Amino acid sequence: MSNVSPPPPPPPPPLPGTRISSPTPSEPLIGAEDLSAWPGTGPVMVEAIGVTKSFGDVVAVSDVTFQIGSGVTAILGPNGAGKSTLFRMLCGLTQPSSGTVTMLGRNAGADREVRGRIGLAPQQDALFDRLSAGAFVALAAQTHGVVRAESRTREVLAQVELDVDDPKPVGSFSKGMRQRVKLAAALVNDPDVLVLDEPLTGLDPIQRQRMIALFGELAERGKCLLVSSHVLDEVARLGSNVLVLAQGRLAAAGDYRSLRDLMDDRPHRVRVGTDRPQQLAAALIERGSARGVTVLADAVIVDIDDIDGFGRIIAPLTVDLGLRLDELVPLDDDLESVFRYLVERRR
Amino acid sequence: MTQSVSTVRSVLLTHRLLVRQLLTPGRLLALLSLGAVVVLAAVGVAASDEVEDPARTIIEVMDGLGLVLVVPVVSLVFASASLGDLREDGTLVYLWLRPMDRLSVVAGAYLAALTVSLPLTTLPLAAAALVGKATVDGVIATVVAASFGVLAYSAAFVLLGLMIRNPIIWGLAYVLVWEGIFARFSEPVGNAAVRGYTRSLLANLSDVGLGPAAEANTSTAVLVCVFVAAGSLAMAAVRLNRLEVD
Repeated sequence: MSNVSPPPPPPPPPLPGTRISSPTPSEPLIGAEDLSAWPGTGPVMVEAIGVTKSFGDVVAVSDVTFQIGSGVTAILGPNGAGKSTLFRMLCGLTQPSSGTVTMLGRNAGADREVRGRIGLAPQQDALFDRLSAGAFVALAAQTHGVVRAESRTREVLAQVELDVDDPKPVGSFSKGMRQRVKLAAALVNDPDVLVLDEPLTGLDPIQRQRMIALFGELAERGKCLLVSSHVLDEVARLGSNVLVLAQGRLAAAGDYRSLRDLMDDRPHRVRVGTDRPQQLAAALIERGSARGVTVLADAVIVDIDDIDGFGRIIAPLTVDLGLRLDELVPLDDDLESVFRYLVERRR
Repeated sequence: MTQSVSTVRSVLLTHRLLVRQLLTPGRLLALLSLGAVVVLAAVGVAASDEVEDPARTIIEVMDGLGLVLVVPVVSLVFASASLGDLREDGTLVYLWLRPMDRLSVVAGAYLAALTVSLPLTTLPLAAAALVGKATVDGVIATVVAASFGVLAYSAAFVLLGLMIRNPIIWGLAYVLVWEGIFARFSEPVGNAAVRGYTRSLLANLSDVGLGPAAEANTSTAVLVCVFVAAGSLAMAAVRLNRLEVD
């Protein structure tokens, strides 16, 4: 195996539409620009300013600043990135070690009125297992002071396709059904801010599609939805603004298209299967089509900047060289790779 | 679509939910067995030829078993679980993140614990007192002392459930070691323990002397139990407000 690596490329340009700020100017965030005012049309509904949360020596969330208005905003990050901790702070369930968080202009944990305008579907699977779905959601309605709690319970359970008259305890439900019970409970008070921690986990594709459509409807009604996910495809379908959280820090922000561009613009790694890898590697380097190559027995691992351009030249190149092209496999076309890239860029 | 949730409504909703959560077959069986031990002891007292004064002896049994074991342990199991279990299993968020004031949630939890614990303590102890040939005053004293004990212990253990994880272990250590041993033989310790006042109630109302650490007058004993309950609930509400909720 051999490896050739030219110098690394410059960092990518800032994402358009970003509304985050870095409190440490010497270490600018990717895609960051100064946050002076909420650039959206509606009021700021959720705000975090310089928020840090530590558990002993472990920093779960570090110096995160953002403002969010109505619409769907996805908090995207790998497991352990700090998404749930951030959500807990926003809802007042835990206090930040430093910085401030407000929901609807106030501290949700300390303000009864604000608590009544929040819907939270937490990530953990815990429910009152001995209650039926109807009883669980009715309890949520009653404890929120929902007028006509019974009819509202029926309505939201129908939205998530659960039967209000099903007497089975939620303890006997599948993960997907439990997830829908949580969603129904979060929706029952028609909240202004919905905080949904991995809400699509456990749902089948049709249910996911319906939930995403429901989120869109709520956003159109002026609701603020914060939806966490570690799955890029989900975020794509939410069609949302995105905050990317990696290792507890806000690594990027913008709309989904910007994130996608970032994915396309960053260095990529592709496996090109061929019968003569040495020859292909030499040609790629000679023509400047690769930043680096690693030659294997039956393939070349190619580091490239322009994935689309590479896709256009590789087939003609192999024809010119008289090589057999066995496969062309992207090795890092997943969210984890984007996170890794963003995190490495921050170092 | 929503209106504010009144304090009474919050208490009732919390109470209804938690009674349902607390009443598990395992807990019921275990704690009924505890009550049955006292009844069996009372049967022994009634059947024994060596007991010269059954009315006095059964009060001593109520003191030694009922007030040391049954009342605090039953209170501990249900009260510490009322909010403590929800905190442990992650369901507390469904009460916490609601437009209800914290004290009403704590009060609902406390009432739920009382709803379960009072019958599980007073009924077996009253039955044991009757079986053991206690006087009418002795039976009444047993029920009153047990009731005030449950009132005080339950509030304290609701707080304990919000303060620490594994409250049963620490609660048992407190009940059995501190109150069960030290408070029985030391007047200063007895004055600083709920048990000293429940014993005083039992002794005063049954007119059976129970020795040191049981010498508070009835009014003081009642007031201390009520004060412990009120203070613990107020502290529990503050604690709930500051709790890190999963």
